[in-house]
Amino acid sequence: MEPIIATRDLKKVYRLGKVEVRALRGVDCIVHEGELVAVVGPSGCGKSTLLHILGGLTCPTSGQVLVDGNDFTKMSDADRTRFRRHKLGFVFQRFNLLPTLTARNNIAIAQHIQGNGFNPHRFQAVVEMLGIQDKLDHRPYALSGGEQQRVAIARAVICDPKLLLADEPTGNLDTENSQAVLSMIRGLNKTFGQTILMITHNPEVAAVADRIIRMQDGRIISD
Amino acid sequence: MGNKLIVSNILHRPIRTVVSALAVAIEVAMVMLFVGLTHGMLDETAHRVEGVGADILVQPPGTSFLFALSQAPMPIKIGDRLKDLPHVLAVAPVLFNVISIQGLSVMYGIDMPSFVRVSGGFAYHAGGAFVNPYDLLVDDLYAKANHVKVGQTIQLLNHEFYLRGIVEHGKGARLFIPLQTAEDLLQVQDKASIFFVKCTEPSYTDDVSDAMHQLLPKYQVHPMKEYMSMMTSNNMPGLEACITVIVAIAVGIGFLVIFLAMYTTVTERTREIGILKSLGASKGYIIALILREADLLSAVGIIGGYGVAAVARKVILGVFPTLSVELTMEWAAYAALLALAGSTLGAFYPALRAARLDPVDALAYE
Repeated sequence: MEPIIATRDLKKVYRLGKVEVRALRGVDCIVHEGELVAVVGPSGCGKSTLLHILGGLTCPTSGQVLVDGNDFTKMSDADRTRFRRHKLGFVFQRFNLLPTLTARNNIAIAQHIQGNGFNPHRFQAVVEMLGIQDKLDHRPYALSGGEQQRVAIARAVICDPKLLLADEPTGNLDTENSQAVLSMIRGLNKTFGQTILMITHNPEVAAVADRIIRMQDGRIISD
Repeated sequence: MGNKLIVSNILHRPIRTVVSALAVAIEVAMVMLFVGLTHGMLDETAHRVEGVGADILVQPPGTSFLFALSQAPMPIKIGDRLKDLPHVLAVAPVLFNVISIQGLSVMYGIDMPSFVRVSGGFAYHAGGAFVNPYDLLVDDLYAKANHVKVGQTIQLLNHEFYLRGIVEHGKGARLFIPLQTAEDLLQVQDKASIFFVKCTEPSYTDDVSDAMHQLLPKYQVHPMKEYMSMMTSNNMPGLEACITVIVAIAVGIGFLVIFLAMYTTVTERTREIGILKSLGASKGYIIALILREADLLSAVGIIGGYGVAAVARKVILGVFPTLSVELTMEWAAYAALLALAGSTLGAFYPALRAARLDPVDALAYE
């Protein structure tokens, strides 16, 4: 079976003023459909850069990155945006909900951007699975961190993405909410076969994954 | 959903929304009122002259169809020659002057019998016709604006006039004095600034006008229809340019306010734009979102502008009853289109800037 993620000698060099930052120094990795993979490593090891490249948010400097068979290095920004719209879901450490919209509309806007219209059955199934039925009319400021992250997960999976990318999803949560969110992520993977790549610096969080990729200094040091 | 996001953003920042909409409202009201005032005054002047009831106007050579700009008199005897032409019922010589009492007003020196024959006479709100040489008639709008009543004395051309009557407006001028008195005070004997000519039948207007052209080849002979068609802003020296400048300033204000509002909005919402991009929102989606928000602000401002213009018109007419402000659907539509175009242009650069934001940088924005 073709992997959903395949990177080859992936490199990314940033320029911060006159300083060259080599964030990725040749990353080779394969992730198959249905896997729950954790990428761990200290701050600055390049895991966030890897997630941004896999999400089509930025381009690598060199190397190859195939996501669901699509080579991002050969795609235009518009094509990667289109791909992201239909195939990817993001969960961020800071939740990143739109502050002026209710939880319901924060979830529904993903369907709207995808352009397939509002799907009430899918919507109902997702909010029930995440247990946020009674929070749908609240705005983000009226929700706890755990509730906001559940809404963010609902938004990420509402369009049934091929790949869910989670960037430190429990980084801003207390232990109780972290456990709840992790069990939901695990549930998504086990119940619905959702492919998930999660980055974290916390080994306890990484422990819920089937597979752990360790990074250091822009390279994978163990898989 | 896009609409919900736009509306919620607008409601989320009420001060910005109110200030932006107010700026557009002022823009729309400014355009409508300035154009309404200029067109209203022109139309009102034209209709007042038309209201005299004449079929033809005869003016001296080289004068303007704007009476206020052309006071060069012509011999009053010409009136007798005009009267002798076939199909001429009456000829009323008028000597006019622009006086300045609480604003500019046109005053006619009239020969009452001939003016009545041409115009069908005045409708009196109070008082009656001239009795003495220094009697004065004013129209009801002038009386209301200046709070004058029959029996009062009014200083005019350095003389005390007795206000003999208040007449219905729409007979050429706002003030009327006897022709002889006007000639004495303006030191022009047996002269007239204009002849109002009434034909026996309106259908003879062209024939009479041709005959007058032959009789007085150097004089200006204007059938009333022709005069009315000349009383447009296009024919007013500099007026169109003035309107264009005022409209451009108004649109410029709207453009700049919307530009500033949307520019700060995009900066303030950088992170939200990053979120939309992470969800797969295209550049077009983000540009459309910003432009639609600006246009919604503009639409609120346009509706507010209509209200401001209507209220301002009432206030203007209450304070200055002799003025005329025409608020037309045509200019309401123009003002709306200009405001929308201005706000769309004003929002375009901020929208483009938002669409070009790097999603990673935008998501990291604090």
